[in-house]
Amino acid sequence: MTTIRYRFGAEGDLTAPSDDRLTVGDPRVIDFLGKLARKLLVPAVARRHPELGSLGFFLRPAELHRVVKHMQRDDDAIVFPRGNVFHVPPANVDTIFVYSWALSALAGNHNVVRISERSATAADTILGALNEVLADADPVIGRTQRMITYGRDDAVTGALSKWADLRVIWGGDSAVEAIRKHPLRPSARDLTFPDRTSWAALSAAGWRAAEPARKREAVLGFTNDAYWFDQAACSSPRTVFIVGSDTGDVREEFIELLIEVSGQRGWEVDAAMAVEKRVNAYGLAATGAISSMEFPANSVTAMSLVTVPDAPRRWIGAGAFPFAEVSSLLDLVPAMNRQDQTFSHFGFEAEELREFAQALGGRGVDRIVPFGSALTFGSIWDGYDLPREFTRLTTLSL
Amino acid sequence: MSVFTLPQAAKEEVLLKELSALVEHHREKCEPYERILAASGYTPADSIAGLPWLPVRLFKNLELKSIPDDEIYKVLTSSGTTGEVSKIYLDKESAAEQTRRLGATVQSVLGPKRLPMILVDTKAMLKDRKSFSARGAGVLGMSNFGRNHVWALDNEGHVDLPALKEFLEKYGDEPFLIFGFTYLVWLHLYEVARDNGLDLSNGILIHSGGWKKLIDQAVSPEEFRARLAGVGLTSVHNYYGMIEQIGTVFLEGKSGGSLYCPDFADIVIRNPQTWEEQPVGEPGLIEVISTLPTSYPGHIILTEDLGVVHGVDDGDWPGKRFSVLGRLPRAEARGCSDTYREAA
Repeated sequence: MTTIRYRFGAEGDLTAPSDDRLTVGDPRVIDFLGKLARKLLVPAVARRHPELGSLGFFLRPAELHRVVKHMQRDDDAIVFPRGNVFHVPPANVDTIFVYSWALSALAGNHNVVRISERSATAADTILGALNEVLADADPVIGRTQRMITYGRDDAVTGALSKWADLRVIWGGDSAVEAIRKHPLRPSARDLTFPDRTSWAALSAAGWRAAEPARKREAVLGFTNDAYWFDQAACSSPRTVFIVGSDTGDVREEFIELLIEVSGQRGWEVDAAMAVEKRVNAYGLAATGAISSMEFPANSVTAMSLVTVPDAPRRWIGAGAFPFAEVSSLLDLVPAMNRQDQTFSHFGFEAEELREFAQALGGRGVDRIVPFGSALTFGSIWDGYDLPREFTRLTTLSL
Repeated sequence: MSVFTLPQAAKEEVLLKELSALVEHHREKCEPYERILAASGYTPADSIAGLPWLPVRLFKNLELKSIPDDEIYKVLTSSGTTGEVSKIYLDKESAAEQTRRLGATVQSVLGPKRLPMILVDTKAMLKDRKSFSARGAGVLGMSNFGRNHVWALDNEGHVDLPALKEFLEKYGDEPFLIFGFTYLVWLHLYEVARDNGLDLSNGILIHSGGWKKLIDQAVSPEEFRARLAGVGLTSVHNYYGMIEQIGTVFLEGKSGGSLYCPDFADIVIRNPQTWEEQPVGEPGLIEVISTLPTSYPGHIILTEDLGVVHGVDDGDWPGKRFSVLGRLPRAEARGCSDTYREAA
């Protein structure tokens, strides 16, 4: 039997019945999360881990009240917490577990979060801040909100799965499949976050019309989107579609800026990653998916796709960019599917994007966001309205 | 008879011509190879370092061959650490040629006659299907160059001291061959010879298999040599080779410390930032070059091993002399679907 390491909250039986009751938007939870936000927004912390700054911003009281208001209904349904929620976040995107947990806590749920054994330093910083705030918080927080780490142990996962009213599985297809082997109660259900693919699109007309400063800003945003998680996060853009005709000039300028900006920002690609990218690019060339590949710097590998459906859906390394030219965003619609999550854009008219979203018809792509916002977490994620998912409704008719 | 004869300049002149022809041969016969070269904008090269290379891992991900299916005589496989397998396709002619060239290479230190041979391994290993491909193929391949073989380890993997003593009694007064993986030689032959006063002074040791396990025990290549000399074993040759370039081995010279390229092979050390050739003394990724691969496009391969050239035309044999320094770690992505593999 693996030992459970308690990272946050009261130690003891995780699945024991509890008399504690939290409400949707419980003031004790809002108070707790507000204090946590202040700790994460301390300049020294935000400088060391910029992603914690974004998290702190997401957790500031004004934002929390907005989320709570969004949970309320204006019909005759009364909103309640869903109950017990078991979260299985991914190992290496350090902040996901906090977003997932905080929204669920805000909904008044009792939560158990499994923190990976392989979690990195940002996760430790967050746990430190959580525990500092906990020391002065209402004890109900520690009794109802628990974060634990344990090794491979089916017994623990199984027990928590039976305990849960909602199980939240991040971490891709294989995590979903592995966790789903453990049955839930008949009334419970899963909220799953499987493997995703994300894209970027550049309007050639919009690009050509943009001032140099704006182009630079766009590339800076794109660089952050792409390199932050080694281009391996669900939302990291990989293939870049250039929309227009005779767009060679746009691509060339974009790549030039990309090399320059990624260099300035210190996104370094080491020898192992450079080799990884060569292996993948050569592989795509060998199978005929790309017609050209360039390696102008280790940080940037540029490839030309032969057709849009050839765009790889698997990770091909940090700083690996297949390019394809299409004449309209609508040309991309047939190639998009359920696996596609974020579509980052630059230079398009609002109407073009709206038309694109409508044409997709919900069959693929969950988020259409400007360059620089691909990784910004929102309470609507992967097509789910998370605050709604974390609550349940009682209707009262008189 | 030696295959270590050509000074670097002469070698490059010969190899550039042969390799350029090989590039054209594989472009014609291997469509994936042709696509790769086309996509990377290949133009003929005027130096060895300018010739196009393939990353070694490509042989694990793709089926690369320059012969029709009905001419496949042998498919060699190597198991990698992550369970990926390289597949190397040989026709009858290339299979014979690689055996012949490997023979010529080791005969450069063994002489033309087959010698009595100690295999520092266990016969049982040949039956273990999992470890067979790499270790077994190495042992079997090398056993061709000896006769009257004795296995140094019994079926349980313990040292078979009576067998070793009997072998040395019969053959110990004339030159004999010892072959084994470096760490097995260290663990099972060196210590046993030292503790039992075995006389290995007529032995010629050929060993391979990487230094990682020994470095874990804080044994450097220099110490390995020095300690073996302590039990009389002074003729020691490490070698570097891989299944993806079967038949080509880079052999340590008699003074030790450097590996040398046979006349039909060469290496280039590449800077992993600029991908240009490194000057002497600067470490980088090892590119192995050989004219032997004709049935698959493995003539110029970028390995994931790090190495350094120590000198050119200034050692036991002419040409470049180099060392292998270690392995490049495998790139890992952080990211959402870096999953809970342990979660199950």
